[in-house]
Amino acid sequence: MAEVRLDDVVKNYGDIYAVDHVSLTVNDGEFVALVGPSGCGKTTTLNLVAGLIPISGGDILIGNRVVNDLDPKDRDIAMVFQNYALYPNKTVYKNLAFPLKMRKLPNADIDRKVQEAAKVLDITHLLERRPRELSGGQQQRVALGRALVRDPQVFLMDEPLSNLDAKLRAQMRTELKRFQQDLKATVIYVTHDQLEAVTMADKMAVMSGGVLQQYDAPSVVFEKPATVFVAGFVGSPAMSLVPLNLSTRGTDVYVVHKDGWELKLSPENAQRAMKAKGGKVVLGARHSTIGLSKEAVPGSVAGRVYTTEPTGDITYAHVHLGDAVVTVSVEPQVRIAPDEPVWLTFDQTKLHLFDGETQKTLA
Amino acid sequence: MTVVANEAVRGKRVDGWRWAGRVFLALITLFAVIPMIWMLLTSIKTQFAALQYPPQWWPDNPTLDQYTALLDPSSDVGRVFLGYLWNSVWICVVTTILSVAVAVPAAYAFSRFRFPGRAWLFYAVLLRNMFPAVVFLMPLFILMRYLHLVNTGWSLVLTYLTFGLPLSIWLLKGFYDNIPVQLEQAARIDGATRFKAFVLIIMPLSSPGIIATAIYSFIIAWNEYVYAATFLNDEDKLTLPVGLQHFFTEYTTNWPGLMAASFIMSVPVVAMFLILQKYFVKALTEGAVKS
Repeated sequence: MAEVRLDDVVKNYGDIYAVDHVSLTVNDGEFVALVGPSGCGKTTTLNLVAGLIPISGGDILIGNRVVNDLDPKDRDIAMVFQNYALYPNKTVYKNLAFPLKMRKLPNADIDRKVQEAAKVLDITHLLERRPRELSGGQQQRVALGRALVRDPQVFLMDEPLSNLDAKLRAQMRTELKRFQQDLKATVIYVTHDQLEAVTMADKMAVMSGGVLQQYDAPSVVFEKPATVFVAGFVGSPAMSLVPLNLSTRGTDVYVVHKDGWELKLSPENAQRAMKAKGGKVVLGARHSTIGLSKEAVPGSVAGRVYTTEPTGDITYAHVHLGDAVVTVSVEPQVRIAPDEPVWLTFDQTKLHLFDGETQKTLA
Repeated sequence: MTVVANEAVRGKRVDGWRWAGRVFLALITLFAVIPMIWMLLTSIKTQFAALQYPPQWWPDNPTLDQYTALLDPSSDVGRVFLGYLWNSVWICVVTTILSVAVAVPAAYAFSRFRFPGRAWLFYAVLLRNMFPAVVFLMPLFILMRYLHLVNTGWSLVLTYLTFGLPLSIWLLKGFYDNIPVQLEQAARIDGATRFKAFVLIIMPLSSPGIIATAIYSFIIAWNEYVYAATFLNDEDKLTLPVGLQHFFTEYTTNWPGLMAASFIMSVPVVAMFLILQKYFVKALTEGAVKS
């Protein structure tokens, strides 16, 4: 296994930058998830590492070797595709043997390795079948097997679980994680599902518009999102984000919504907010850090319930503050109805503040 | 869903339509088969019986004389006929091989690569098919004279390529478009070069398309008359369609001979269809190109 380094990597099509100066290092044996909405450049980044598309600028290093101009076959990588890309005209055995055959291994070695991989993945009984005769989960295992057979330096995975049903996906998630730990494999894993990234990855790289927004451990990304985009993308339900204007009265600092309501900031938050350049901030709060009461309390903001989502052990309430929507979680026994007036209190120690212009966090 | 529901509601009418369809198919089949049967029957008649009126529906004295004469290299008729047959066979086989050899890489390139002038070229390929073939008769003849190919089979090979390639390329491009690009990406990551990935993974998957293309090119060349009649002069260089017309109608038409020769001429095409179509259908139903 090896380390992978992206050094100021660029992929552009004319003026359109699919990957915009991305730098990150995947340590040896690390599981890194590239996440972002579709079109954010995560799959393009993966294809650049694989060598399937030519790089426009920067360097990609696998195990301290610059691979920019190497063919995919010479990069010593393995890849699992979203649609599995199993060779439809070959049996499972031949699918697994193909990468070994291409490397001209003796037949005896090929057979041993294929049998080994099949045993690990519990697909020995499927070896003589063709891909179309397999279920989605089985195809997924074969695709994984084809990657496993030849101890590559790096595993690249492009949304490998997104074609599975929810239950199987959860199961494969844990299995995949376990494999990675057992093999101490370096894995770069592309997904649009932030839950997959948070649950599986050692580090996650959040991308948007070709730009790397944040690269850190999932817990850090969750607790200290670097930009408004990351804040809104990571976590379910999404963090409530409200654009507000700053207003000072004496030593007090308020954030004011265009529809009239306002919130007085704590001294620490006031200090952070004052760093915003244009007098505009974006306030972010996760559902669990907002309190809901049915009567006005000091420092609270009046709103109106829009809708509620009971999930069983927790109920989410979407509350309108002016035209801003804020998601709050309440105990399931709390009865609230749509259009009911409520008052929200924000936990100032857990409030996120972003610069309204640069969209970056204010520290 | 709605179609099924409607059919259930209007069951009677659907049956009526189904019967009308069957009658229609039966008529079409008769229309296609009767000339062939008549060809076969005539080929085993004597010249006298073939010209009788009212016609003998079943020949009184069926004979295979025409076939034995045609296929006997020691007889005059056989020597000439087998010469035509050989001319047709090599011209068509070479045309088919070249057609596949050009159409496969061309279609693959149109499907997978983005290069300057791609769209323009792709439509330019069709240009030839926008005009009736006869329009190109004289230009191509002059071209072939410059190339010193007049009165050779190669002039026909080149000409037939221009007929068959446009559709072949379009048809094959459709096949390649339907093969997920991830398959060859996987092969390239697994250790194949781009070319090897194409040969080992993509080619087998596109074999139904390649076979269809080959059949199409072969049949176009096999049946072509006008160009063959124009470009070739020497009797011993003629292809079957032209040769038959010359040979059997030189003084009086030898109907049984012509029909026997026509039957032999149709054998390769029918045989090819029967053998390859089986493979064609098999390849399709196996879901080889299912995305």
